[in-house]
Amino acid sequence: MEFNLIIALSFLFIPISLFVYQLFFGHILKHNTWYVSIIGIGINLSLALSFFYRVFHNSPDDHMLHYRANWLTTGNFNMDLGIFIDNMSAIMLVVVSLVSFLVHLYSSEYMKGDSRFSRYYAFLGLFTFSMNGIVLADSIAMIYIFWELVGLSSFLLIGFWFEKTSAAMASKKAFLVNRVGDIGMFIGIMMIYFVGETHSFNLSDIIEKVKTSEIDSTYLTTAGILLFLGAVGKSAQLPLHIWLPDAMEGPTPVSALIHAATMVAAGVYMTLRIFPILTGDALTYIAFTGAATAIFAASIAITQTDIKKVLAYSTVSQLGYMVLAIGVGSYLAAFFHLVTHAMFKACLFLASGSVIHSMHNSLHKLNDHETDAQDMMNMGGMKNKMPITYFAMLITTLAISGVPFFSGFVSKDAILAGTLSHYFDHGGITILLPIAGFVSALITAFYMFRLIFLTFHGKPKNKEIHKHLHESPAAMTFPLILLSLFSFAIFFTGTINPLSDGSKGWFSKAIGNGHNYVIKVDSHKADAKHDESYDLVHSNEIHSKANSNHNSSSDNLYNFTEHVAHGTHAAHYTAMYLSLLVAALGILLSVIIYYYNKINPNSFIKVFNVLKLYDLSKNKFYIDELYNNVIYKPFMFWSKVSSKIDWDYYDQKFIDSIGKITLSISNKSTKVDYDWLDQKVVDGFGKITHFMSLKLKKMQGGVIQSYILGGLIALIVITLIVKQI
Amino acid sequence: MDSWILSLLIFIPVIGSVAMLMASNSIGKENKNIYKIIALIATGLQLILAAILYINFDPSLGIEESPFTVQVDWISSFNIQYFIGVDGLSMPMVLLTALLSFLCIGISWNIKKAPLGYFALFLLLDAGMMGVFLSMDFFLFYVFWEVMLLPMYFLIGMWGGPQRHYAAIKFFLYTLFGSVFMLLGMLALYYYAPDGNTFNLIELIKQAPRIEASLWGYDMKFLIWISLFIGFAIKVPVFPFHTWLPLAHVEAPTAISVILAGVLLKMGTYGMLRISYPLLPGEVVNFSFILALLGVINILWGAINAIAQTDMKKMVAYSSVSHMGYVLLGMAAVVSTESAGAEAGLNGAVMQMFNHGTITAMLFMLVGVLYDQAHHRWIVYPDDYEKPELAGKLAFGGLASKVPVFNGFIVLAFFAGLGLPALSGFISEALCFIGGFSAFRVLTIIGTLGILLNAIYFLRAYQRVFLGPFNEDYKDLKDMSNRDLAIILPLAFLTLLFGVYPQPLMNIISNSLNKIIIIVQPYI
Amino acid sequence: MNLFTNLESLSLYLPELMAVFLILAIFLSESLPNYRHLTFNISIIGLLLIAFTMFVVPSSNKLLFQGMIVNDSFSYYFKYLIILSTFSVILVSKKDNSVINEVKGEYYGMLVIIMLGMFTMVSAKNLLMIYLSIELVSIPSYIIAGISKNDKESNEASLKYVIYGSFASGIMLFGLSFLYGLTGSTDINFIANNLITNDNPLTLYISILFILVGFGYKISMVPFHYWTPDVYQGAPITVTAFLSVAPKIAGFAIMIRFFYTLFAGSSLDVNWPELIAIFSALTMTIGNILALKQVNIKRLLAYSSISHVGYMLLAFSIVGPQSISSIMFYLFFYLFMNLSAFYMAMYMSKAYNANNIDDWNGIASKAPILSFFMVLSLASLAGLPPTSGFVAKVYILRNIFIGEQFMWLAVVAIINTVISLYYYFSIVKAMYFMENPDLEAKKSDKFLFWSIIIFSSQNILFYFYWSQLWDYLDSLVSNMGII
Repeated sequence: MEFNLIIALSFLFIPISLFVYQLFFGHILKHNTWYVSIIGIGINLSLALSFFYRVFHNSPDDHMLHYRANWLTTGNFNMDLGIFIDNMSAIMLVVVSLVSFLVHLYSSEYMKGDSRFSRYYAFLGLFTFSMNGIVLADSIAMIYIFWELVGLSSFLLIGFWFEKTSAAMASKKAFLVNRVGDIGMFIGIMMIYFVGETHSFNLSDIIEKVKTSEIDSTYLTTAGILLFLGAVGKSAQLPLHIWLPDAMEGPTPVSALIHAATMVAAGVYMTLRIFPILTGDALTYIAFTGAATAIFAASIAITQTDIKKVLAYSTVSQLGYMVLAIGVGSYLAAFFHLVTHAMFKACLFLASGSVIHSMHNSLHKLNDHETDAQDMMNMGGMKNKMPITYFAMLITTLAISGVPFFSGFVSKDAILAGTLSHYFDHGGITILLPIAGFVSALITAFYMFRLIFLTFHGKPKNKEIHKHLHESPAAMTFPLILLSLFSFAIFFTGTINPLSDGSKGWFSKAIGNGHNYVIKVDSHKADAKHDESYDLVHSNEIHSKANSNHNSSSDNLYNFTEHVAHGTHAAHYTAMYLSLLVAALGILLSVIIYYYNKINPNSFIKVFNVLKLYDLSKNKFYIDELYNNVIYKPFMFWSKVSSKIDWDYYDQKFIDSIGKITLSISNKSTKVDYDWLDQKVVDGFGKITHFMSLKLKKMQGGVIQSYILGGLIALIVITLIVKQI
Repeated sequence: MDSWILSLLIFIPVIGSVAMLMASNSIGKENKNIYKIIALIATGLQLILAAILYINFDPSLGIEESPFTVQVDWISSFNIQYFIGVDGLSMPMVLLTALLSFLCIGISWNIKKAPLGYFALFLLLDAGMMGVFLSMDFFLFYVFWEVMLLPMYFLIGMWGGPQRHYAAIKFFLYTLFGSVFMLLGMLALYYYAPDGNTFNLIELIKQAPRIEASLWGYDMKFLIWISLFIGFAIKVPVFPFHTWLPLAHVEAPTAISVILAGVLLKMGTYGMLRISYPLLPGEVVNFSFILALLGVINILWGAINAIAQTDMKKMVAYSSVSHMGYVLLGMAAVVSTESAGAEAGLNGAVMQMFNHGTITAMLFMLVGVLYDQAHHRWIVYPDDYEKPELAGKLAFGGLASKVPVFNGFIVLAFFAGLGLPALSGFISEALCFIGGFSAFRVLTIIGTLGILLNAIYFLRAYQRVFLGPFNEDYKDLKDMSNRDLAIILPLAFLTLLFGVYPQPLMNIISNSLNKIIIIVQPYI
Repeated sequence: MNLFTNLESLSLYLPELMAVFLILAIFLSESLPNYRHLTFNISIIGLLLIAFTMFVVPSSNKLLFQGMIVNDSFSYYFKYLIILSTFSVILVSKKDNSVINEVKGEYYGMLVIIMLGMFTMVSAKNLLMIYLSIELVSIPSYIIAGISKNDKESNEASLKYVIYGSFASGIMLFGLSFLYGLTGSTDINFIANNLITNDNPLTLYISILFILVGFGYKISMVPFHYWTPDVYQGAPITVTAFLSVAPKIAGFAIMIRFFYTLFAGSSLDVNWPELIAIFSALTMTIGNILALKQVNIKRLLAYSSISHVGYMLLAFSIVGPQSISSIMFYLFFYLFMNLSAFYMAMYMSKAYNANNIDDWNGIASKAPILSFFMVLSLASLAGLPPTSGFVAKVYILRNIFIGEQFMWLAVVAIINTVISLYYYFSIVKAMYFMENPDLEAKKSDKFLFWSIIIFSSQNILFYFYWSQLWDYLDSLVSNMGII
């Protein structure tokens, strides 16, 4: 136990100490400083594996380590921090450490000669630390804490080349957009904290509370959705996806690590952690968000020409898949896709990085600073120049497009099956979920191969550049090879039979189908749901009823997740054939268009553009512009206005006026006291005093009478007043 | 020793300023540095004493039991006592005051104009602040409260920026306006106290709630609360009374801005917690919603205005308005029916008082460092800038690469300001929100927008000043000097420490605050 | 209570008698050319002697001269204040050139006569005595207001003073005669007893009002303050300093004695406190409002002195021993702070010929010590801690809470405090914040210098400990016997 704890803590301790080291002493070893980091992360990786091997003989529900320590306490309020490792976090640890390790390795070449080389490694360390924190966290508060910290490291890494204004902007945008989501998450945390009698941030406690005590389902739904908003921010779901494409301003390895494999997946991971307390309505909301994001992002990816932008949007779309999977309740599929995606998407990014790298070098040789090294329109025919990169990218592309024998096929298929069964379950509008799934699968296959063809096949667009291209050094290619290996299904399912579904193999055994303590489904309906004569309407009302009385003693009730798994299994074959079909279709299309150039893309574009579809997609549906004009600019304007109100009007006019008024009163009364009495009254009394001695007149003696008059008048007035009293 | 330590805390600065006056005739003639050295020694001693106090401090003891408490008659005929003591509520404030005063001497090391006056007044100010936090007799409290006005008036008015005269008199009148109402409230408490007239705050805790009187158809307790609230609210400053703050902060010299934002603002909330809360619990309960509302308005209004600022110092000033809003929200949470919520809120509020003290000190100090070299603080030149061709253009840009160390601290300070976890700002703000949420759901949810808004202005400022292409006008900008480092490191350390492990701070405060909760809860 | 015959009385009347001799001595030496230069020393020594005799001759509640006068401890307190102010004014007048040297002698003499008048005023127990004493104070005041013969302003001031003064005392005499008519006596104790059976409240009202005019003009209470600014500005500054303090002290003394003997305790339906409250509010507000815009320091201080009268009236409007003692308390501090402020103005106008606020610019750098003490005095006048002015103000305000009436008056008072801060500190601003390069340091004579320092340093000293003084006043008032 203690030993485990030390190991677990080392996942936090080693990276943060690397951060400190690189930040303060990184400059000492010059370029070699990266060895220090890679050794540290290497140790982490091996430790991660030491947890990982236990995954094979652990059931999903028992955890290897749960340690809680009190962090902050006063009277009744206290906040624990704790470490919780079960199979899921063990696997996640491996993913993080592995990708992080590879990226550390890869960057040693990619970032060579950068003026802030050591600081780059420092930030990588900081990121790894915070990401591990999220993975290990046992309490929702702790997740939030590290959640913000990955935000910081992402901010620092996106803005790493901050001399570029675009990079600076992108980093700011990323942080702020994430904050929007975080607000929701924060409120969600507070709501969850105050649920029930006992107050706790600890996930297991919360789940226990929800399990045992009666909680208003709308309250829980709201809390769930709010918590999910955090994921919407981090995992770049609609409508907060806008930061991720811009985040590509950061160095490519960073994109691979943070914006493909790990951080963006953290949203999904968090949602999986709170899965047990998500109500049906919350799940529905999540599902639709995911579906929308998947298809929306995919449709943008088609038209992008910047290689990294394409990958970015495909990431968004894949994350949409995962969220969709959670939404339809297929816990396993979601996490499965998270892991497989981490592998192949990291590989894709690193590969694109290697492409960009060599593009840069060759452009550098030609000292050409105009040409965009990331624009696929300047590439082409690279496959014989950089074969390793090519094959790595090809394999991973096959994986992401969902071709049998590759990991992507299995995980995506599981998700699609999930959506189908969900549709069978609920019918009605939910038909959109599978549709979105399949369509975006089709589009994905299409644009990924488009990317391959534009980059590696065909004739080079620019002979000069092409001449100077060559394969990247081993430090960069090794990660590609490794990751592309992990893109084969066999590593996860343990079988070469392409048609076996995701619910087989060590992975599914390790993860299981998850639990949900809020939703219960009526059992005989659950069995009946595969009959052709399945009455949708009826089941709907049952479902809603099930929602309301979720914690009634459940003998005749049937565990929701079991039920979903069951359904998924049933829908497996339908899903698989369909997905094979769409994948093939997508690939075929792009082969025709971009490989054999049978159809000229432009004519294609024309066809689509009758509805301005092309422009929409090309311009990312103008979402950024929309936000800019509808939210950001007006807000800035109003902040200016309010500051004007606050200072120029409220303070200068109102507050100071109090003083000014007093002064003016004083002015007036002084006038009355002097000018009035002196001038007016003197003139008045001048006549009376005329026959008084001239001297008196010279000395304005009249003043005196006027004073006396003043005194007398006052006297009389007061007499009258007092008479009243 | 125990019984002397508090008095020494208050009077060492006074002794220091007297020593300066003596020195001015002899050594001061040829060596002007003597003054700042004396000031440094005095504040240094004070800091050491504060540390000793902290080491021997037992949070479980109340004022009555504490060995440090001193209670002697001052004016027996008026039953005024020299009654000073320290408990969990004042302890962090004492530490903060001692620390910031010490550092501020360092910040104002290069004061050329009339050093004698500057440092002497500064020490008097220091004494006043210390006195406010240690007084347990309302009259004494009020006296120290007012004593600070005079030095502050001169410090702003003589060593301040272009608008200093206006700022000084405005600050003076505004705060005096508040405190005269406080004076009435104080006298009312004294004379309406049911058994025996007294200024003794501990005694009044027992008596004040039993005041039975009314005036002009209002309950006397209510009127007292209002009059005290005006006094405290202006210091905080609470929303409608906040406009003296940006002006005073911007015009004051760096060290004084640090003191203003770091300590003086806290006195308002401290006063409420020390006096209004325990003495008038019933009114607190009735008033709590308005308090929370004002808190939320502070958070949002301050942040929104900060976003629009083109002057870095003014931005930081408005950020203080926003951050004090968290304190108010947390304090309002005392009425929460969830005891966990109430505790979170109140403890969070006091933690926020301390943490904001350190963070804002860093911010002002850093802005000051930049200003000393660049001679301006613009983020973008304002539209009515004297050089029209520059109006609306970025004033700096890309400094991060030029002054990496400075940049590092700016990042720390800014992110602490926007409440990044693992930095002290986060936990206290979170606690305030959690507390507020348990009592006032909707308000707090609106208030959480502050999380975003605070991030907006800090990041915008950071990006515009430190990121982007380097502005060649500042190519001979120097990085932080060792003195700057020596000043900022303690603050940075505290920010990190209480961010990563806030429990030590919580240990000091929680006992006393939970006592306050126990006093207030019955009136809900 | 036993009435003393004139002869017996003399023994207890020694201080006044000595004052009379002093006056004679001064005028004698004035008239002898080769002894003229001695007038100053004579008056100083004389005053010291008088003070000394006051120590020896004990105060007693015995009624002297068939109940015309009483030299009780109450009057003694005021006499000390009066003699102190007279003494210090004479001290600083020696080197002061606002009063030309030719007339210095008679000037001192006049001051002593005024002092004698005030002595009588504070111990008068009879309507006639009251009127007489007021006149005895007024007439020499007119003269010294116009003491610098060839200064037009001064003469004008004196004339205004004369006319207004005579008007006021005329009205007052009218009021006194009403009182006599109602009761058939001029002895106020006797009147007090008879008034209990009075069946004509309106006449009483009017007589009180008329008498108030007399007192009000002495202490320059709004709306009988009109003469104040002109006279203060016109008269030589030493005179102004004197007039801004001494007559107010005496005036309050006689007001207290008169009203408390007549009405306090008695169950008359005369609502004079209400009346005073209104006057007080008017006085402090108008005094402040008018002071706010003044640029001439003398004028500003004149108006501010009016507002201070307002504060004291606030206490007067609440019947009770503590309010009397709080007024006496306030007068004590007021004497010091106001005189020190005036002396500073005196120094300024003498050394730099500075009469307006902006002539004071940048003084702090040239006369740091005096400026510092000036700030102290101003802070005290504004009633800020840490100064005795604050303490005094607190004691004034506390009456309201003890009496539990006129709460609105308390609000008026504190608002006025804030207003007053503005104009007092506009002087500070000029002294410290403003620059004036072409200004060279000037020495001041040491009498003035030390008077400023001593008088204004009390602001801080009494702030830290005032218990003894207060207890003394408290006991004094409770033994006074008129309540």
